[in-house]
Formats: sequence, C-alpha cells, structure tokens
Amino acid sequence: MPPTAVNTSTKHTAPNLTVALVGAPNCGKSTIFNALTGLRQKVGNFPGVTVEPKRGDAHIDKTTTHLVDLPGMYSLLPKTPDEALSIAVLHGQHEKLPMPEAVIFVMEGTNLEKSLFLYAQFAALNIPTVVAVTMIDSIKASGGVFDDITMEHALGVPVIGIVGHRGIGLEELREHLALRGFSRPEARQNHIPTDGNIEAQHEWARNLASEVARIPELDSLTTKLDAFFLHPVGGPLIFLAVMLLFFQAIFVYATPMMDAIEAGFGALQSLAEAALPAGIIQDFVSRGVIAGVGAVIVFLPQILILTLFITLLEDFGYLARGAFLVDRIMGVFGLQGRSFIPLLSSFACAIPGIMSARIIASEKDRLTTILIAPLMTCSARLPVYVLLITAFIPSATLGGVVSVQGLILMGLYALGALSGLIAAKILKSTIFQGSKLPFLMELPPYRFPTWSSVLITLFNRTKQFLTSAGTTILALSIILWALGAFPRHTPPVGANSTQIASLQLEHSALGTIGKTLEPIFAPIGFDWKVTIGVLGSFAAREVFVSVMGQVYSVDISESDENLRTVLRSAISLPTALSILVFYVYALQCMSTIAVMKRETGSWKYPAIAFVYTLALAYSASLLVFRLAT
Amino acid sequence: MNEIPVGSSARIITYTQNDSFTERLREFGLIPGTIIRLLRKAPFNGPVEIQYRSSRLVLRPDEVAHMRLERIG
Repeated sequence: MPPTAVNTSTKHTAPNLTVALVGAPNCGKSTIFNALTGLRQKVGNFPGVTVEPKRGDAHIDKTTTHLVDLPGMYSLLPKTPDEALSIAVLHGQHEKLPMPEAVIFVMEGTNLEKSLFLYAQFAALNIPTVVAVTMIDSIKASGGVFDDITMEHALGVPVIGIVGHRGIGLEELREHLALRGFSRPEARQNHIPTDGNIEAQHEWARNLASEVARIPELDSLTTKLDAFFLHPVGGPLIFLAVMLLFFQAIFVYATPMMDAIEAGFGALQSLAEAALPAGIIQDFVSRGVIAGVGAVIVFLPQILILTLFITLLEDFGYLARGAFLVDRIMGVFGLQGRSFIPLLSSFACAIPGIMSARIIASEKDRLTTILIAPLMTCSARLPVYVLLITAFIPSATLGGVVSVQGLILMGLYALGALSGLIAAKILKSTIFQGSKLPFLMELPPYRFPTWSSVLITLFNRTKQFLTSAGTTILALSIILWALGAFPRHTPPVGANSTQIASLQLEHSALGTIGKTLEPIFAPIGFDWKVTIGVLGSFAAREVFVSVMGQVYSVDISESDENLRTVLRSAISLPTALSILVFYVYALQCMSTIAVMKRETGSWKYPAIAFVYTLALAYSASLLVFRLAT
Repeated sequence: MNEIPVGSSARIITYTQNDSFTERLREFGLIPGTIIRLLRKAPFNGPVEIQYRSSRLVLRPDEVAHMRLERIG
C-alpha cells in the first residue's frame, strides 16, 4: 500500500465562494438560481420558523460557488420575518448561514425603480456585487432601450441583462461567477444616497430608472387579462370555475391513479403471500412492509397533481389574483386569501393541503391554516361515513326529494368545515395573535410558466415527501402492524381464516390497548371493538372498515353488506352517530401528523393539532351520544 | 378611498400615522405628493388595487385609511 499522503483537493480551482442572491420579491431570482444550480439544489424553500433559504452549488470551469437564494425584500428596514432573515445573513449575523462574500443583485427590468430603491440601501453594505437585470426582453419588446453602460457607471458594479427563460445573459453571469467578477458599490464615490432618507432614495431610483430603461407605462397584456380575470362579475365566476377544476383534478382525476397504485400493492401482497410460507414473516412482508410502502406511495398522485396545478397557477400569476378575490371572505375567519387553496385541497387529503400552505407568506396565517386543515373532510373519511350511514340511517327521503342519507353526509362535511373556520378565528385571536403584518400584495404580471422550473418544483416536492414524511409514515405503519400482530395467538383447531384474524387481533397488543382504553371511550359509546377500529384508523381512516370486518369476523372481501348487518345488531344508533362525529374531528391519521411535523419543523404543532382535535372529537361525541341515548 | 370611484385618481397629501406600515408604503414609493389611480376593488369591500407611476399595489381598505387623499379626477 502506498503512503497515504494524498492531496485529494483539486489544485487548479479557486477557493469556494459563498454568493447570495438578493432582490425584491418576484424579481426573477428563483429562475436565475435554478439556471445556475440546475438540479443540484439541496433543500426546498418555504417561509416560516423553519425558514431555510434555498441553497445550491454552481460548478463553472472547475470553480465551485455556493449559492444562497435569500427571501425577497423591499428594503433593509425589515417588516417581515423573511426580510429579517435576509438582512441578518447580509450583515453576517445569521446563526447558521455564513456571511456571503459576494452578491448577485437581481433587478426586475420592468420595475427598475423598486429594485434601484433597494439597491440604494443595499449599497451601504459595500459587498462585492454583480447586478443581473431580468426581463430585458420585455423592455425591448415594448419599444424601450436598456442602457447597461450608464447603469454600470451609476451603480459602480458590473451589470448584466438577462432573459431567464431564453438563457440570454446567463453565460455572461456564469463567467462573472467563475472569474469572481464582482465590484463594491462604493456608494459615496458613486453618489448613491445610502443615508436612509426614503424620499431621496426614491428620487435617485426614479431618475436612474428613467435614464437607463425607457419602459412603457404598464404591461398591456396584463392590463387586458386583468380586465377579464378580475372583472367585477366575471372574475369571481372564473375563480369558481378554476376552483371546481382544481377540486375535480385532485379528487376525481387522481382517483384512477390511486386505485391503480392500491391494486398494484394489493397484487404485490398476494404475490408475497403466495411466495412465502404462512406465518409471521409472510404477515410482516405483506401487511407490514408492502402495505406501509403502499400507504406512502398512494399519496403521490394527489401531491403531484396539486403541486403541478398550484405551480402553474402561481407562475402564470393567477394565484395572487385568486387571493385578491377571496381575501375579504377569508378575513372573516382571521385568515387571508391564500389560505383558500390549502383548505380546499384538504377536502381531498390534508397531506397535499398542508404542503401547499407554503404559498402563505405570513407565518401565523400559515400555521393556523395547517392546524385547521385536518378538520376539512378528506376522502379517507368517506368509506367510514358511507359504511355507518348506509347501515344506520334509513334510505328515506324528505318530501320525496331530499335523501336523508345525503343530507347527513353533507351535514358532516359542513360540520367539519365550519368548525375549522371557527377554530381558525379562535387560533388567530389567541396563540397566533400579535402585531398584524402589513398586507401589501403585488399582482405580478402574467407570465408563461417555464417547464424546467415547474419540473424542478415537482421533483423537489416529491423528493421531500418521500424522504421525510414517507419514512415516518412507513415506520409508523410497521409499528401499527406489530401492535396488531403481537403477541401471537394460537388459534383453536378448526377455526377459519376470518376467525383466526379476529382472535389474533383481540389478543394482540392493539386488542389489549383497546380493552384498556375502553373505560375512557365508554362515555361516548365505544366498546373495545370500536376502540380498536378507531386506533387502527391511525394507519389511514378507511382502515376502520377492514378492522371492523376483522373484529366482528366478517369476510368483507366481497361486499360490505354482511358487515352492515352485523354492525346493526352489534352497536346502537347513538354509538354509530358518536363514531361519525368522532371521525369529523379527530386527527387520527399518522401521515398527516408526519407531514405536519415536516412542514412546521417541530413536533409542537402536530401535538397541538392532535390534542385539540381529539378534545373536540371527544366532547362532540359525548354530546351527540348523550342527546341520542 | 371609499369616496373614490374605480378608475379615478387622487393625490396622497400625508399619512395620518407614522409606523412600520406607512414606512413600508413610502418604501414602495407612495410618498406624499404621489398620484394614485384606483384600478379595482375586490368583492365584499375587499382589497383594492391601485396604480402609481409604473407600479401597482394591492392594499386592504382599513390600511388605506391611513392615507389622507385629495381627489383630482
């Protein structure tokens, strides 16, 4: 073996540099970041206590540049947590992120005054900088001229014109990164008003903007489209149509894919059961591992469709318009316009709903939305509702038209939604109370989404879900399987497979827990069998149906009809109503809990959600059970 | 703002209070003397969109209340 004194570092590279992307919100920073780093970025970006700017490496000509995409800001006097983070990083005062050695300052070509105002304040920091002006094609398309030479003289740093989606200017920017072509603004020398006088800074910015770029008054396409999308009457109607399509997409179009995934994993289970000898190994592989992985993968169609839809709407510019239209209505419940999308998606499934809450910039509004999302009736509750309603509610009609069963079903949906909105109001006036952040929103110009950016978002969202929430869901599935499978029970001779399954469940740890908890659930009408069903639902709520089949030894592989008959004689109507109300409220879904943890960065919020929904569920069930008995 | 019909313009005379919110408005370039035009109002007395110079901005009505405006057309 040769001596180990090997220098593994490459000799020809310059030392690595940390460069921050700085700019106003919506100025095209992310497009540049994605173009420079490609798919090499490390983690996604979303606002919050867990604020974590996007980071990634750009490898150009054997050099490596660590890029940090700082949240957009309007000035160096912070008004929001996002701005405070960006400014702390620029001052080298952030706990984890290093002070950048240089900055790519991104300016929106069609709104230079805003960007130049920020630059006037930023210049005081005197950090080596290169300025990238985006959307110069829009200036040129509308008959304007972009004068980068004059701008370089005025700003004291290199200026590069960029057209992100066509790749124009990106090569020049890469060269600047590789050759470390940055300069310090030297504000005093260049007569940039850094002294904090907002009026003077705006005057400087306005004059320079009119000097370097002749820009038409307003983007005429945006004006025309807004006359259509924000029409006093047509606007809300279009919004309703978009939401309907959106709901349709996640609720209906995802179903065939989810069914296919479930069927696929079902086939895989049969295959494993056929290949392995009956016993604990077979049970573990089939009902533990395969079912657990299936429980993770089954969410992917909804997450992908939802993310695609939201990314397209956001990039196109419609999301901000939707928020504008419903802001007042959501405001009644202490929420804001952007809470609408996550809550609507939660009717399909709380998991994509909670993930989409990232579009809400205000931390308190985002957390409130996440905490109430599980109260929106998700599709997993439907099998439970349908089983109990068809078993216990007569299929009569009111006045020969309105079905009582349908009415009850609708009532359960309404109960959940209304309770959620009231909970939001309470949360916003208690734990999420506090100084109101200024609500200032810009309706961005309409733009055509770039496919690469959409695909990167889809890829990252999927990766995050699978690696972070997915592993937790899988682990919890296996634990739940183990609770139902141990300790092993030796079945009596002559028992059929349905009876064996029933006896195993009764004598398992889950069965013991159910019996132990029975006194707690007795006041709301649950015996230990129902309790096991409720506990088993933590894997997924629809599991209630199959667990009920198991505890009552009913073979439900053909139809639910036998189970309905058995349930009618086994439990009373008050108990059935109590279960229904319990399912409206209780957060008995470990996948939701895992995603909540992932999205809020701590177990605190899932714990709060679990406790408050359980308290609601228990009291509501108690009330219903008492009233019905 | 309630008295100004959609499509008409007004000049910002002054701000009736001085806090981080009105500072943010000034940072957006809405300094006293600026002429704004009311572009549209959202349903149910919701947010309003205004235009000034080459910028547009959405504000809530209770926040616009801090602006003293003079209608000019």
